[in-house]
Amino acid sequence: MFLLNLSLAEFLALASAASALVVALYLLDRTRRRQTVGTLRFWNVAEKIAEMKHRRRIQQPWSLILQILGILLLLAALAQLRWGSPEGASRDHVILLDTSAWMAARGRTGTLMDEAQAAALAYLRAMPASDRAMIVRADAIALPATRFESNRAALEEAVRQTRPGSAALSLDEAIRFGLQAQRLEGRSAGEIVYAGAGRIPKQDAAAPVSAARLRVLPIGEPADNCGLRRISLRRSHADPAVWEIFVAVRNYGRTPRQVPLALTFGNAPIGADRLSLAPGEEAGATFRYRTRAAGWLEARLLIQDALAEDNRALLEVPAQPAVRVQVYSDQPNLLRPVLSANPNVAAVFASPGAYSPKNEARIVVLDRFRPVSLPDADTIWIEPPGPEGTPASPFVVRATVKGTQLERWHPENVLGAGLRTRDLKLDSTQVFTAAPGDLPIADCAAGPVILARPGKRKSVAFGFHPGRTAMRFELATPLVFANVLRWMAPEVFRRWEMNGGSVGTLTTPLEAGADPAAIQVLAAGDRPLPFTIQDNSLRFFTASPGTVRVLAGDRETVYSLTLPEVAETRWEPPSQTLRGVPPPAGTGPASRDLWQALALAGAAGLFAEWMLFGRGLAPRRKAA
Amino acid sequence: MATEPIIDKSFLEKLERLTIHWRKSFPGLVGGHNRSRFPGPGQEFLDHRHFHHGDDLRAVNWLAYLRLEKLFLKMFQVEPRVPVRLMLDISQSMAAGGVAKFDYARRLAAALCYIGLVRLDTITVFPFTDRLGDPFMCCGGRHRLAPTVDYLTALTPSGRTSYMQVVRQFVSANSQRGLLIILSDFLDEEDCARPLQFLADYGHELLLIHLWAEEDRTPPWDGDLELIDAETDAKLEIAFGPDARTAYTEAFDDWARSLQEAVVRKGGRYVGLSTSMAIEDAVFGPLARSRGIE
Repeated sequence: MFLLNLSLAEFLALASAASALVVALYLLDRTRRRQTVGTLRFWNVAEKIAEMKHRRRIQQPWSLILQILGILLLLAALAQLRWGSPEGASRDHVILLDTSAWMAARGRTGTLMDEAQAAALAYLRAMPASDRAMIVRADAIALPATRFESNRAALEEAVRQTRPGSAALSLDEAIRFGLQAQRLEGRSAGEIVYAGAGRIPKQDAAAPVSAARLRVLPIGEPADNCGLRRISLRRSHADPAVWEIFVAVRNYGRTPRQVPLALTFGNAPIGADRLSLAPGEEAGATFRYRTRAAGWLEARLLIQDALAEDNRALLEVPAQPAVRVQVYSDQPNLLRPVLSANPNVAAVFASPGAYSPKNEARIVVLDRFRPVSLPDADTIWIEPPGPEGTPASPFVVRATVKGTQLERWHPENVLGAGLRTRDLKLDSTQVFTAAPGDLPIADCAAGPVILARPGKRKSVAFGFHPGRTAMRFELATPLVFANVLRWMAPEVFRRWEMNGGSVGTLTTPLEAGADPAAIQVLAAGDRPLPFTIQDNSLRFFTASPGTVRVLAGDRETVYSLTLPEVAETRWEPPSQTLRGVPPPAGTGPASRDLWQALALAGAAGLFAEWMLFGRGLAPRRKAA
Repeated sequence: MATEPIIDKSFLEKLERLTIHWRKSFPGLVGGHNRSRFPGPGQEFLDHRHFHHGDDLRAVNWLAYLRLEKLFLKMFQVEPRVPVRLMLDISQSMAAGGVAKFDYARRLAAALCYIGLVRLDTITVFPFTDRLGDPFMCCGGRHRLAPTVDYLTALTPSGRTSYMQVVRQFVSANSQRGLLIILSDFLDEEDCARPLQFLADYGHELLLIHLWAEEDRTPPWDGDLELIDAETDAKLEIAFGPDARTAYTEAFDDWARSLQEAVVRKGGRYVGLSTSMAIEDAVFGPLARSRGIE
């Protein structure tokens, strides 16, 4: 016999308090009440009868006993007194089935997931018939596969349908989830059963995992495994046509290993290495590969080990784009240096007589001439023909001034950012009239001399030729062309970085001064992912394998999250943790609820007291 | 003390058709009834009638004869001289457990006084406890009700009751017999039947109006009680319950019955009233049925 809702101490405390209250009320009920009456003549007549009654009630404590007994019975009903042993009570268990990436590793008999499923099924079969269980699939997050269920067939089916995931196990979160589920259910809490290999990330190993009723169903641990941890690609700063490739490999096993690593690009081998890894060691290899073409880069460990999923990583490498610039000029040598500075710019020079409005160029440079039909591309005008010219340029030349000084650059817009000159005197320059929406880049005293016009087709006009004036000696000359080209074709200047890794929480550093409003984290299908920025680092979480792009200004980082997240630390359960599948429970009757009978008995006791001791039968009269 | 009027106007209008009655013939007085507009020798003019042979010539209206040449006789109303006295118990027992019983008695006294005033009777009110208080004479017609009400309103309950002393004092001060109305709960530590019999033997016609509150007859309390006598401060501790309550009520009824028998035996009348009954119902119910007022 045991109490389901209260401990024995709580029950005794409540029973004592209730009994004391009843006795106090009993005594209070019998405190003499002072009453003034007109005469005592008739009271003397009633005194003999009243005195006999008084003595009888004092000598008969059954009223008090019945009251206390009735209240105690009701209290026992509230505490859910049950007949049987506590082990026989119906309880709710939570079975945490490890679905981390490591569970796909091959063990002694099949995969670790097969062993965990077998252990979970054995536990289900050993559970008492009246118990319920909830199957929770636990990796980085814990997801319930069933509710608390007593249907064994549904539970076993949920166990069998469980497959390994791609993330590492967060055991502490899973146990918390199980405890909370038991608490919310509000019934008798059973065990938290963990079935899995117990591989957790290193940072989680420090966090204590504790639960009063934790049971572990241990499974075998594979001896050897090596796997790719990370692969990253980025363009070389020195040569944009060259990819720098870094591959990290880790030995998860207990013995040193020689691990051959091979890289292919479009199925063509581009590099190989052999890494010597001590147990638990992580090492990296760096490769360089020159290509502007797009293709698939594959890194493969040429070994046979427990987990095959982390032996191969595949990255999609984008092509390196180059913007084509068509220059119509009689003096191409004046512009050749500024356009050839960027390897991603392919400049083609032609004389104005060879002008064609239809060409493949993304940007057209018109050096001191105006074609009959405008090009279908972004345009850079250099000293466009003035009003006297035939025909006139789209930019309105207000005047042509001589011997003026370039007084001001406009750093407030992206075109003038970072530009600076000192005492730059222009022999001759056109001064434009800015239209609404035009962006001035540089001004002299008379007005803007370099002007940009946004729109579907962007255009920039120079009032002077940078190669014919004193500006050809200034550092601002290539920079202003770089700004203009970046403004017209930003993808040319975008920096690419590819990373192959595992699902879960990823952290990437940001450049100093990165605008958080301009940052985007996009999953497959350009679906935005939530992210946080802290200490100039961006952090996001994804639980499903795939590609995630991080756009931050002109920098794009692509994460190909196809590698399984294999945790490196093995969790050691606390010493008091129960282990293994318990012996099968008997099929005898479970503990029986007594609260209905106790409640009836308590109510009957109070009713009997009310009936026997008269106060319930006599109509109550209000005191004056 | 009550701040609201002890008797309201609508009730007064209903009382105007009533008259206080007595049954006894008192020596030397007009007796047997008390119709105050009875024609006969008196001071106040009542009516005219035709002259008949043998009538007193002093009552002929000679001025009417000079104008009409017919003899008319002037009639005068008879003034009854049976003294009506009202003894009002103002002892502390009348206020035990609240002033409901005392207020009830004052309102009933005011109603009786008004009935007398309407019929031009003279009613003398005697408040009493263990001695007779100063009398208040209530006479002069209905317009003199206000002083009576003021007098009754100013009364406060106090002291203990002693009927023997009061009766002695009353008899020595009022030798002329008449109707004596006693408004009281008759809760005297000594037996009050004997003094009342003594009054009847002396020649007074008694009309006892016995007032009780419901708690006087059926105490509502249960459990252990410490009872305090309102007049003597005597105490009694008792465990009271349904059985004791029944015995108490039976004792009270027996005592009231013995009081009634003692008064009726001497030619008096007894009216028992519970304060739970409305005064209007009491006047037109038990009091009217006793023929104390009609």
